[in-house]
Amino acid sequence: MIEILWFLVDSMLVLLLLALAWTTCSSRDVMRAVTLFIAMGLLLAIIWARLKAPDLALAEAIIGAGVSGALLLSAISDYPSTAITSHRSPLMHGIINTFTLALTILMSWAVWHGLNMSDGVRLSEQVSSQIPVSGVSNPVTAVLLNFRAYDTLLELAVVLTAVLAVLILNDKRADSAASSPLLRGMTRWLVPLLVVTSGYLLWVGAHAPGGAFQAGAMLAAAMILLQLAYPSIHRGFNLYLLRVLLVAGIFTFVLVGLWMMSANDDFLAYTPAWAGTLILIIETAATISIAAALTLAYIGGRPTGWETGDHVITGKEDAG
Amino acid sequence: MISTQLLYSLAGVGLFAIGLRATLLHHLLLPRLLALNVCGAGVFLIFIAVAYAGIEGMADPVPHALVLTGIVVAVSATAMALALGRRLESKESETMKSEAMKDE
Amino acid sequence: MSNAIIWVIMVPFLGSLVSIIWSRYASLIAIISNLAALIASTVILTQVYQSGPFIHELGGWQAGLGISLRADALSSILLVMSMTVISAATFYASTYFTDAAKRARFWPLWLMLTVALNALLLSGDLFNLYVTLELLGLSAVALTALSDNRAALQAAIRYLSIGLLGSLVFLAGVALVYAGYGTLDLAALAKVVQANPLSQVAFGLMTAGLLIKSALFPLHFWLPSAHASAPAPVSAALSALVVKVAVYILLRLWIDVFDLVLTPASAMLLGTLGAIAVIWGSWQALQAQRLKLMAAYSTVAQIGYLFIFLPLIVVLPEGTLQDAAFTALLLMALTHGFAKSAFFLSAGVIQQYCGHDRIAELGGTARALPLTIFVIALSGVALIGLPPSGSFLGKWYLISSSFHAGQWWWIPVIVVGSILATAYVFRILGHAFGPGESIGRVLNWGREEIPALMLALIATLILGFGSAELWDLVAQHGDTTGN
Repeated sequence: MIEILWFLVDSMLVLLLLALAWTTCSSRDVMRAVTLFIAMGLLLAIIWARLKAPDLALAEAIIGAGVSGALLLSAISDYPSTAITSHRSPLMHGIINTFTLALTILMSWAVWHGLNMSDGVRLSEQVSSQIPVSGVSNPVTAVLLNFRAYDTLLELAVVLTAVLAVLILNDKRADSAASSPLLRGMTRWLVPLLVVTSGYLLWVGAHAPGGAFQAGAMLAAAMILLQLAYPSIHRGFNLYLLRVLLVAGIFTFVLVGLWMMSANDDFLAYTPAWAGTLILIIETAATISIAAALTLAYIGGRPTGWETGDHVITGKEDAG
Repeated sequence: MISTQLLYSLAGVGLFAIGLRATLLHHLLLPRLLALNVCGAGVFLIFIAVAYAGIEGMADPVPHALVLTGIVVAVSATAMALALGRRLESKESETMKSEAMKDE
Repeated sequence: MSNAIIWVIMVPFLGSLVSIIWSRYASLIAIISNLAALIASTVILTQVYQSGPFIHELGGWQAGLGISLRADALSSILLVMSMTVISAATFYASTYFTDAAKRARFWPLWLMLTVALNALLLSGDLFNLYVTLELLGLSAVALTALSDNRAALQAAIRYLSIGLLGSLVFLAGVALVYAGYGTLDLAALAKVVQANPLSQVAFGLMTAGLLIKSALFPLHFWLPSAHASAPAPVSAALSALVVKVAVYILLRLWIDVFDLVLTPASAMLLGTLGAIAVIWGSWQALQAQRLKLMAAYSTVAQIGYLFIFLPLIVVLPEGTLQDAAFTALLLMALTHGFAKSAFFLSAGVIQQYCGHDRIAELGGTARALPLTIFVIALSGVALIGLPPSGSFLGKWYLISSSFHAGQWWWIPVIVVGSILATAYVFRILGHAFGPGESIGRVLNWGREEIPALMLALIATLILGFGSAELWDLVAQHGDTTGN
């Protein structure tokens, strides 16, 4: 009985998800498409929670729907107000549709086959057996920051590269006139709450859902909220400091890895006794980096004086 | 009745296909970016569906970590793509303005 | 000394981080980092040569749980080539950018590109490969956009969209592999993968994603504009390395992991696409009006040659014949890497001094920039495939493998491709040696011309004469799974 109920709930979630995805992709209006996309992100967060991935649910809500949403929404204002249409010929349409349909069938068949043939042995047993020496008890944190820490380091490199590109390309985001007393009032108590929650997420990530990425993104969300409520605040932000923090976090990560290499003859191989502390250090560093990165990605801007090494932060304002 | 794993994996395949189709059909930056993100969400869903081990069991944490990485990579790429689009936009309006001034 | 495998990735990484903060010394930091990484890469190659391929499990966690790095003949040779080209281009780049702002933005991204290349070549884990592919793609796009003109920005946006699509399709394949086999480690997968619908679809997806990234016809359309509008040192890295490593991953998957899954028919399909790429790319190169555009189309053609090897390697029996074909592929990839980067650096010099790179207006350049034109001639020799360049041997073995495998139809393609290459190289030289004022003075030995000279010499002389060593290395230590 309960299985049927679960099945009904799952089917509903799946159908809603597919519907949101379809309407996002085929919407003619940019604003509508982005709004539907954010909604889809939130639904995805619920689905992650349903599939017993609470870390992901947090991350998707904050990063996937939150920060992505903020970036996309602010991009709309730069976007020409034309409706979205596809300029492909009907023949091309037909070819693409047939091709995608065929691919869907092939992949579905492969997935079905794959789920049948695998004996269900995943890596969860290996992970569980090694958790006691990993220094944390949250398995996802253990994988992310211990077993596969090298991937996480490279991922931070990806973030850094993207932020560098954003900083190079554009002047700072223009002061928007959209703020209101309501927003300011709400921000006044929301931002401290976000900051405290972010610290909590960082701390609790060792033994419960949470961790560096969620915490860092939440801090960035707080900064973005400040920027929206008090548009001229970026003149007070020390952008040079943000860049230093961004680099410093990743730098710490690499240094810990190299230190372990000299101590234990292997990169990022933590001595089991110190593993917990080391992970906390790296997580704090990563949180700071992620927060700085996502904030800079949103605010953008080419701070003057970067190239010559001066610390003068005036930032250029957009002409429009 | 199909298993939860299969249901969500197929949903992932569906998302992937929807996003892929839209990526191929659109050529404006923003719709394409949205489509690519939908495509990515599909792949992530396949990973997590495969990792699911029932309400009682422990889900496989490795795909969770992978998808977390994937989400961060996706948002970075999106930010960069939007910055590129904005820069091109400002270049093109610059050329239009200078051409308009030349005409005057 | 297995730590060299870490240093070759981490030194440029640290260099990149430091050069963001200390941008005044960024050039120096970059030169030192890249030279150090070059030394580390030769250490790795020596180690592979002396004691065979090795796997390094990061953190000591068993395969599957953690990520492993692996070095064998193929990856360590490509690593050394990559670091040599990067180092030469680094020297060139230190004189290329006149604007301090551009310089400060260039170096951190350039070093990240290096990190991505090295991490990719040494990776032994499927998801790690995806992350390195993304890092590579993002840094390449950012560097392309540095030219900051409309053409470059448009090309960069297209490059980014197509690149992201390719990575996602690749990742979809990885997801399916994990669904079926529960592991992401390449060595472990090589042992358990069998031919079944799941493997075939996953394999197809991963191949498709990589074909986009390696710009095989007809998925090459993003390449010419991107490589032509990027700054010269960036173009050198893009054509010589970024596209190559995607082919490397493809080879790795085809030959090591999915060798039981692939069919001769699919290999033939890729070979045919490669053949079309050779003809079409060479033809477009002949028509190109600008040096860099010509070089970009030439890259499309040369990548085509690499894919022609696939149906031959698949069909030939294991042993000396197959080894010969494999080594010839490697030789062609290496020669192209050095020759094309030399070509792009020379095009950059011409652009610096003449202010443009239009072929029709190159008159008099041979007198004005003799060393650069000499370098272009040298790399042209390697691109055409004349002796003593490495690609001469490569094409020779390609032709003989075609005979042995009974696939004689590749031979006319190779011949036509070489004729077209001769035509477009001589077109440049013809204009350069023609009458004209050019820059009105003679530059005898500009410092910026030296890196290109070094690269061209490697392509045309060293690889040609030193290929025996290469044969030994590959024959003894083909790869970690003992194929």
